[in-house]
Amino acid sequence: MDERRATRAIVWRSFVIQGSWNYETLIGTGFAFVLVPVLRLAFGGDAERMRAALHRQSTLFNCHPYFAGLAAGAIARLEADGTEPELILRFKAALRGSLGAIGDQLFWSAWRPASALLGVMLLLLGAPWWVAVGAFLIVYNSLHLYVRIWGTKAGLRNGLAVAKRLREAPFAVLGKRAGDAGALLAGICFALAVTAVPGGKGDAALAAAAATAGFWLGPRVRRGLLAAFAILWLIGVSLGLAAP
Amino acid sequence: MALSLSGFFLVCLWGGWVAVDTTSLGQIMISRPIVAATVAGALLGDPAAGAAMGLVLEAFNLMVLPVGAARYPEAGPASAVAGAGYALFSAPGALLTCVVFSLVYERLCGASVRALRQLNTRIALTPDSRSDPANVQRQHLAALALDWLRGTALVAAGLAALVWLLPWVAAHWMLPDKVVRIAVAAGVAGALAATLQLFRGGNRVLLFVAGVGAGLLIGVFR
Repeated sequence: MDERRATRAIVWRSFVIQGSWNYETLIGTGFAFVLVPVLRLAFGGDAERMRAALHRQSTLFNCHPYFAGLAAGAIARLEADGTEPELILRFKAALRGSLGAIGDQLFWSAWRPASALLGVMLLLLGAPWWVAVGAFLIVYNSLHLYVRIWGTKAGLRNGLAVAKRLREAPFAVLGKRAGDAGALLAGICFALAVTAVPGGKGDAALAAAAATAGFWLGPRVRRGLLAAFAILWLIGVSLGLAAP
Repeated sequence: MALSLSGFFLVCLWGGWVAVDTTSLGQIMISRPIVAATVAGALLGDPAAGAAMGLVLEAFNLMVLPVGAARYPEAGPASAVAGAGYALFSAPGALLTCVVFSLVYERLCGASVRALRQLNTRIALTPDSRSDPANVQRQHLAALALDWLRGTALVAAGLAALVWLLPWVAAHWMLPDKVVRIAVAAGVAGALAATLQLFRGGNRVLLFVAGVGAGLLIGVFR
């Protein structure tokens, strides 16, 4: 199997792996979609093997989308090597949990919020909008694209042994550093937002109250903010409607 | 500023791309409010307004995590609508109207994602058809196209609703602009404070406090 062609095919198709997300196979159909060209490369004109492999790989599967290339590469390697179908399916099931956890912890919980806070900080500092947006997209996608390409190559080269490569990769350390950066940036952004509150001591007290609510409520602060803003909006409109 | 047909068309195109970026295509994060709202504003000639809306909505969406198969609001299309709306109208009441509209509309967008996934489940491949590469590719790409249509329709409907609502609000708005700005700024501060819960563990609280110190110095002496 031509590894370069296989890598290119998997990486490009992995960008749409979640396109047919459904509650039955999750990203199973998308996973099969990613593997179609690679299985063609692996099996040449053997349509029977191709169909059998595709049938196996379009069943239930889920993982973090950026690490899907790693799973697809490893599975493609195993299929091309004629590995026992039972072993392939057990390996795929094992990958599902670990790739999901690694990806969620690294990207959704650390890298993305930290990158977004960088963009928010630049806007609060008065940077041009294209600088803030560009900085966020470039910083975020540098790791995103690296993981897609690295994962695909690691999967194709190592097959079953890709778990070892995954353990050796510094994703846990990266996630920790991103979390540290995120905490620092969150503090900077919070302070810049507080100093941006116009007005005197009363308004600073409001900002302090909002901050306390934020610390205490965590994710639930969104509901509180929506309720508060909706009430304020209703007041704003009602006063106008009631005015003579 | 009136919304031209070409402007409406551009924002809808952008919104469709933003919607598929959330899950189906790429996930390069153009669906984040800081990008979606800013670019929507830029498409209508006021990137600063779009960026202001993007900043506020991004702060409110930092805590939303798309972990596993969790249900979550879809901020991208809603932010694009809000950014476009705020770029069109800087009239009294527009800031708060666009923020509230976005926070409500993103729940509707999230519900449409779940509905689409239910539809995908209904038309999912049967065991027999799963082995045919043509069937697999056709179904997958059809689902992707449906998602793009969904996003485009949501942005079109949302923008039409907001463009109707904003002049009506402006005609009946009685709260001073300063009150709204204080409330929104305080809300952003509260949302940013909440993100400390995202970065739990270790010496993160110290880092947050160090950041607050640095930010205060910058803010005070700027």
